Amino acid sequence: MNNTDHTTATVEPAIRLESVTKQYVGAETVTALADVDLPVYGGEFLAIVGPSGSGKSTMLNLLGLLDGPTEGVVRLGGRDVTDLSETELTDARREYIGFVFQDFHLLPTLTAVENVTLPTAFTDGQYADRAVDLLGRVGLGDRLDHTPDELSGGQKQRVAIARALINRPEILLADEPTGNLDRETGVTILEEVRRICERGVAVVAVTHDELVTEYADRTVRLVDGRLGEGDDGFAT
Amino acid sequence: MSGGLWRLPALALAWRNLRRNRLRSVLAALGIAIGVFVIVVLGIFGTVLQLSASQELGGIGNQVIVSPAEERQAEALTPRQIQSVERAAVGRGTAVPVYAENALASAGSQQSPAQIYGIDNPAALFEGRDRSLPAQHRGGAFVGPSVASALDLQIGSTVEVGGQQYRVVGFLEPSQDITPIQPNNAIVLAEREFTGGYDQAVVVADSPEDATAVADDIDRRLNVRTDRVDIFELSELLDTIAEFFTLLNRFLIALGSVSLLVAGVSILNLMLMSTAERRGEIGLMRAVGIHRESVLRLLLAEATLLGAIGGFFGAVLSGLAALALWAVTPIGLDVVVVPRNGGYLVGGFVFGIAVALISGAYPAWKAAGERPVEALRG
Ligand SMILES: Nc1ncnc2c1ncn2[C@@H]1O[C@H](COP(=O)(O)OP(=O)(O)O)[C@@H](O)[C@H]1O
Ligand SMILES: [Mg+2]
Repeated sequence: MNNTDHTTATVEPAIRLESVTKQYVGAETVTALADVDLPVYGGEFLAIVGPSGSGKSTMLNLLGLLDGPTEGVVRLGGRDVTDLSETELTDARREYIGFVFQDFHLLPTLTAVENVTLPTAFTDGQYADRAVDLLGRVGLGDRLDHTPDELSGGQKQRVAIARALINRPEILLADEPTGNLDRETGVTILEEVRRICERGVAVVAVTHDELVTEYADRTVRLVDGRLGEGDDGFAT
Repeated sequence: MSGGLWRLPALALAWRNLRRNRLRSVLAALGIAIGVFVIVVLGIFGTVLQLSASQELGGIGNQVIVSPAEERQAEALTPRQIQSVERAAVGRGTAVPVYAENALASAGSQQSPAQIYGIDNPAALFEGRDRSLPAQHRGGAFVGPSVASALDLQIGSTVEVGGQQYRVVGFLEPSQDITPIQPNNAIVLAEREFTGGYDQAVVVADSPEDATAVADDIDRRLNVRTDRVDIFELSELLDTIAEFFTLLNRFLIALGSVSLLVAGVSILNLMLMSTAERRGEIGLMRAVGIHRESVLRLLLAEATLLGAIGGFFGAVLSGLAALALWAVTPIGLDVVVVPRNGGYLVGGFVFGIAVALISGAYPAWKAAGERPVEALRG
């Protein structure tokens, strides 16, 4: 199963960077991404690898609508979202994107269920039942009312994954999702992510971890802000 | 799970955050509590002072005393002037024409200086000691307490004034009021014991405002081109005293506000610290789609809660302090439990919240406005 076969046909990518350049202007201007083209399709698990400082986090921020490009266009399901206001971007993030971070970023004062529903806390909908559902799915059905300090690293990351899914996102972005986990725990997390991907979600993971690339459909390599060509970029 | 997980999300999250570092939150709220306490207690203290004072001053503001103008060297008021005073008093109080002179009173071998009044309606100006005074003087002498004890007088004793002897028919109650018509050294006789014109006319007005109006009216009627009568009226003095107390009260409250200001600074500091510590959490909230305004609301809710909790305890404590003031001092409940003091309680509470809110505004605005990319980068 390889979605990339269909890309040139009619299917719209879930999210796409088009000729995107990102520069950080400071004492000296750093070009973190240079003229990058990257479509990510629903149901595809994309791994981004590359040395430190190569622009991986920058790329994830652009895909997550947390930051805008200096040049180029970001398309969310075909829609140009490059020039949306901060309010519109916030809504777009809540509606379409799920985030998983290396250090989990759970709120320590909240229980697992509350952490999972946090993205929807200020909206009208009722998500508590879905949160319970999701926690059950990631194997935490018996940890609903535990706070993060009562959970192991792997459990925390699973809570974070459940949180990323609360809004039924079309894109799941993961920054080193296994970075703080041992190999065995990493495997369970990646299997979870794999299942999410199979349900049609576009998954992008930034990683140093060989393990992640093993679960990915496609791996691209970033070097100095440019997408690498050649065999390295397309490990299976 | 219940459906209402996030019914009041800002408040719920704020409450959790405050409980997280309980000691720090309690100290910040304590600052507000102390500030509110100081303001409210000083406010109440000022009210009690003012009300007690105006109780003491009592009738001072209600009397208008009209006498012949000093520079005209007239001995007495003319009947026309008395009539004018009576007209001016209609509907605003009672006019009482008065004969008055200083004389030596004696009984047996004892002597005492006394203020001798001739008044047909003693009840209008004095209180009786054991029974009330008549509205129509039927003869004899009503004697003030100082004279009575100096001359060792009883009911039925004889007192001699200006070569005439009078039977003591009653005593006057000493007065706390500050007024030129003092009962202590007075001997009140009937008018018929005097001859000639009245020395004074006293108007006992229904209120200080009426007193002012009566005084103005008399002035207009009698002092047309030249001053024919002197008009002595104290309601303006009362105004001046009230102004002084208002000023004193404001000063006390301003003093108290300084302590609330300090509390505000401590909330500012707490909010700056706690938002800096939670930078990543706030960034996370923004990243997962919580709006800047919602984060702002959450952080302001934290400050407001601190202010509300502190303000509540400050107000309750100062209410208790006010009641203690009543319980352990001679101060009456009637000057403690008054609407204005209730106003201070509520006002102090609201002020505490406002100070906390204002102090929290800048840190909240700063933290909520930070871009999530920056905040998440740590
Ligand atoms: N906010 C920023 N301001 C200035 N330079 C930045 C910023 N973020 C990243 N960079 C620079 O951009 C380049 C790419 O960074 P990043 O995307 O974090 O790489 P990676 O995640 O692959 O380590 C680096 O040279 C980094 O120093
Ligand atoms: Mg990085």
